[in-house]
Amino acid sequence: MKLLLRLLVALHPRAFRRRFGAEVLEQARADIDRGFEVGVGPGARSTVATTLDLLGSAIAERVHPSWPDPGGTSGNDEGVGMMMRTWIRDLRRAARTLRRSPGFTAAAVLTLGLALGANAGIFSVVDAVLLRPLPYPDADRLVYIAASAPGSDFPDEFGVSAEFFDHYRSEATQLDDLSMFNAFTATFREGDRVERLRLAAPSMEFFTTLGVEPELGRLPQPGEGGQVAVLGYGTWTTWFGNDPEVVGRSVWMIDGPRTIVGVMPESFRFPQAGIAAYAPNDFDGEVTNVGRFGMNLIGRLAPGADEASLRAELTELARRLPELYGGSPAYARLIEQHVPVVRPLTDVLLGPVRTAIWVLMAAVGVVLLIACANVANLFMVRADGRGRDIAVRRALGAGRGRVMRELLAEAWVIAGLAAVMAVVLAAVGLPIYLDAVPDGVPRITDVRLSGTTLGFTALAAIGAALVCGLWPAVRGSKTDLGRLRDATRGSTRGRAWGRDALVAAQTALALVLLVASGLLLRSVQALRAIDPGYDTSGVLTFQFAPEQDHLVDGPTWAAFHLDFMDRLRALPGVERVGIVENVPLDETPRNVAFVAEGGGVADEDGVRADITFAGGDYFAAMGVDVLRGRGFTDDDARTPGSVVVSRSLAEALWPGEDPVGRRLQNVLLEDWHEVVGVVDDVVQGQLRDAPAITAYYPLIGPTPQSWALSSPGYVVRSERGTNLVPEIRALVTEVAPEAPMYRVHSVEELTARSLVQLNFTMLTLAVAAVLALVLGTVGLYGVLSYVVAQRTREIGVRMALGAEAAAVRRMVVVQGVKVVVVGILLGLVGAFVATRGLASLLYGVGAVDPVTFGAVSLVMVMVGVAASWVPARRASRVDPIRSMQAG
Amino acid sequence: MTPIPDGGLTSLEYHVLLAITEGPRHGYAIRDAVEADSRGVLNPRAGSLYRVIARLTAAGSVVETDAPQGAEPHPGRPRRYYELTADGRATLADETARLKAATTLAADRLRVRRS
Repeated sequence: MKLLLRLLVALHPRAFRRRFGAEVLEQARADIDRGFEVGVGPGARSTVATTLDLLGSAIAERVHPSWPDPGGTSGNDEGVGMMMRTWIRDLRRAARTLRRSPGFTAAAVLTLGLALGANAGIFSVVDAVLLRPLPYPDADRLVYIAASAPGSDFPDEFGVSAEFFDHYRSEATQLDDLSMFNAFTATFREGDRVERLRLAAPSMEFFTTLGVEPELGRLPQPGEGGQVAVLGYGTWTTWFGNDPEVVGRSVWMIDGPRTIVGVMPESFRFPQAGIAAYAPNDFDGEVTNVGRFGMNLIGRLAPGADEASLRAELTELARRLPELYGGSPAYARLIEQHVPVVRPLTDVLLGPVRTAIWVLMAAVGVVLLIACANVANLFMVRADGRGRDIAVRRALGAGRGRVMRELLAEAWVIAGLAAVMAVVLAAVGLPIYLDAVPDGVPRITDVRLSGTTLGFTALAAIGAALVCGLWPAVRGSKTDLGRLRDATRGSTRGRAWGRDALVAAQTALALVLLVASGLLLRSVQALRAIDPGYDTSGVLTFQFAPEQDHLVDGPTWAAFHLDFMDRLRALPGVERVGIVENVPLDETPRNVAFVAEGGGVADEDGVRADITFAGGDYFAAMGVDVLRGRGFTDDDARTPGSVVVSRSLAEALWPGEDPVGRRLQNVLLEDWHEVVGVVDDVVQGQLRDAPAITAYYPLIGPTPQSWALSSPGYVVRSERGTNLVPEIRALVTEVAPEAPMYRVHSVEELTARSLVQLNFTMLTLAVAAVLALVLGTVGLYGVLSYVVAQRTREIGVRMALGAEAAAVRRMVVVQGVKVVVVGILLGLVGAFVATRGLASLLYGVGAVDPVTFGAVSLVMVMVGVAASWVPARRASRVDPIRSMQAG
Repeated sequence: MTPIPDGGLTSLEYHVLLAITEGPRHGYAIRDAVEADSRGVLNPRAGSLYRVIARLTAAGSVVETDAPQGAEPHPGRPRRYYELTADGRATLADETARLKAATTLAADRLRVRRS
C-alpha cells in the first residue's frame, strides 16, 4: 500500500512533489488509516477514493500546474516533457471516449481486472513461498545430505546414520560446517501445563551451520548438550507471553529437564512452521548403533565447492565406513551400493509444494492470456465500428503513429483501471483464499500483498495493455480508403481472420486448463476409490503418552495398556478397542529386514518390512482382514514370541506355503518369533502409497526389554464417533493425569487430510478452468454475434434468393465450430506438452489420458455449438426486406 | 495563468481560506475544518487538498508559517502550517460579499416563484 501511494505521489510534477510530496503522502496515509479504524468497508472505500484522487491530481497537475517550477522553464519544450504531455492528453481523450461507451469499458475492465486479480493473488503466494530467499546468510550455500542405495530394497532416499555424520564431519573438505537434525512429536512440560509438541533434537552445530542468531538470550554452547533448550518464537508467545525473563527457566522436554538459554526470532522456522522448541545434543563421536538410518544432515558448502564435488567426495568417504565403524555384512553390502544425496536446502524445504504452486501460477497466467484475447477482440470490433472515422482522419493527414497512439491509449486506460480493480480484488480475496490453503505449505503465513506483488501487477497490466491493444491499434490504423466510400459494406473477411485466430487461441488455452483439472479430478476419484485395507468410517483414533515411574519395560507397558483398554471397552457405545504403534495415514513406522527360519527363499539380507505393534482387537476395530490364523490375544500381549505378518511379507518369506506356525527373525534381534496370523497389507503413510509390507509384534514387544511403548495410538470402533472424546479424555486424566490426549482424529478425517493438497490444487485449477471456459465462450459468442450483424445484408440477400432458415443457421454454426475445432486441435497439442508438468500430482491416470482428452474436447465442441446457436438463430430470422433497407 | 478564476473561488478554495481565518493550521487540520464547516459536503482527499493549497499559495492568498506557540508536538517530520495573508483575507471577504449578494438574489427569486 505504502508503495502504491509513493508511486502515485511520484507521478506528480517535480516542482509540486518537492514542495508538497511528503505532506500529501502523510495525509493520504492518515486518510486511509482513519477509514480502517472505522471498519474494513470504510477502509477499502477510503483507499479507493484516496488512490483515485491522487491519480486525478497527478494528471491535473501535469496538465494545469498549480505550482510553478521555480527553475523557470516548465519543461514544455523539452522532448521528455512534450512526450509526457502528449501522452497525458491522449489518456484524457481516451478516458473521455471510454466514458461514452460504458458497456464496452465495463466489460473490458471486468474481464482484465478479474484475470489480473487472480494473477496478483497467486503471484503473492509464489513470491512469499518460492521466490524469497531462505532467511539464512548465504542460504544458497546450504545443502541437505541424505543417502540412497540404488538396487537395494531401501527407499529411493533415506536419512543417514550417526557414523556418516561423524565421518563426514571430520573428513569432508568440501564442507565448511555440518550438523545433524531430526524432528518428532514429544512431550513438552512447563509447570502444570503439558502437551505433545513437534520438537527437534539437532546436533550442537545446527544453529551455527544455518547462521542464525537468537531473538533473546544466546545460542547453546558445546558441552551443554542435553541440558539446555532453545524456544521457537511461537512457543515463547503462547506458553510464556513473550516474557523477557524466560531465559534461565526450566522446562521438561522429550526425556528430562532442560534450561532455556535462548529464543529464536519469529522468522526462524526450520524445517517447518511447527517446531516448538529445540533440544540440542552434543555428539561425542561415539557411534553405538551403526546402520541406524533416518537422520537428516545439513551442511554448508566450503568456498569453491559445489554439489557435484561434494557428492564425489562423500561417495569416497562413505566407502570406508564399514572398515572404520564395523556393522553387519548386510550393512557393508548396503554401503557398496550407497550413493550420497546432495540437494540444495531450498529444494528440500519448498520442493513438495513447488510443482503445485507453479501449476496454479501457470493456470492463472493462461486465464490472463484468454482475458487479453477477449479484450483484444472487443477492441477490434470497436476499431471496425470506427473504421470510417479513422479513415477520414488519415485522409486529412493524421499520421499513422498518432492514430495508433490514440487507439493504444484506450488500452492503457482500461489496463490501468483493471490493475486498480485487481489490487482491490486481491486485497479482499487473498485472505479468504489463504484460509482455504491446507496446512503444511511452508511460509504461507508470510503471504501478503507486498510491493513486489504490486510491481508484478503493474508489469502484468502493462503487458496486458500491449497484448490486447497493440494488434487492434496496428490493424485499426491501416489506411483503408475504401472505407471512406462505404463503411458498412466494407469487407469483413480479412478482419474476421484476426478474430477467428483469437477465438481459436482462447479455445486452445481453455482446453489445456480443462484437461489439467480433469486429470486432477480423475486422480482424486482414483484415490477415493482405493481400498486402503481398513474401514474409513466409524473409527476414532487418539494417542496419549503416560510418563510414570513404574512403566519401565514391555510387561509393565502391556499391563498398563491392557487395563486402559478394558476401561475404554466399558464406555457406552464402544464396540471394539485396539492399540497400534503407528496409526495408518497419521504416522510412519520404522523399516527393518526379516529372515525366515531355515533360510527360506529370501536371500540372506532378508525382506524389508515396516515394524509396529498391535494389541486388543486392533485388526477387528480397524477393519483389517485376518486372512489366516488369528489376531493377537491378551495372552500374546503378556508373553513375547508371537508375530502377525501382512500378506506380502508372508508371500516373500514363504511363497506358496502356509506361514502360520513358521518362525521369522528381525535381523537386528536375536530372538525368533512364531507367526500366529496373516493379515491384509494396508496403506500406511499416504493414500497414494502402495500398501505396506508389515510385521506386527504383540504389546509386550519382541523381547521384554526392547520396547518402550511411549506413545501408542488407540483405535476405537463406535457408532458415537467423536462424541466419545470427552468421556475418553476424562478416562485418560484418571489413569495418567500427566499425559495429554492428542492426535484425536476419526479415520475419515485422516483420509480427507491425505487428499487435501490434491483437492486444493484441483479446486483452484478448476476455478481457473471454469473462468477460462466462460471467458472463451463469451469471446466466441461475441465474435459470431458481430459477424452475423455485419453479414445481415448478405444473409438477407441469401434468404431473399430462397435460402432456408435451417441452412442459414447451419452456415453460422459451422463457421463457429470450425474455429473451435482448430482451437481444440491446438489445445490438444498444448495439453500434451503441459500436462507433463502435472505428472507428480497425478494418481492412477496418465498425463496423456485419452478419456480426459476426449471428454474435454467433446465439451469444447458442445460449448462451441451452444455459443454459436444464439447468433445463428438471430441470423435465420433476418427479414430480407428490412436488411436491404438498413444497408 | 489566472490561479483564481474570474467570478470567484471554487467552493473548496473558499473553504480552505475559511479554515485558516482564525489562525494558522496544518494540512490535516485544514481538511478536518473544511469537512466540519461544509457539514460533510466537502471531504477533500490529499491530492485535491494540496493542489488547492498550492494554487492559493502561488496566488499569494496563503503563506507557509512556523508552528504557532503551544501547537501540539507532532512525532516525525515537523508539520507545515499555513496562514491567511492580507490578500487572502481580502479575497475571502470579496467572495463572501459576492456569495451573500448571490444568496440574497436567489432567495428573492425563489420567494417570487413560490408565491
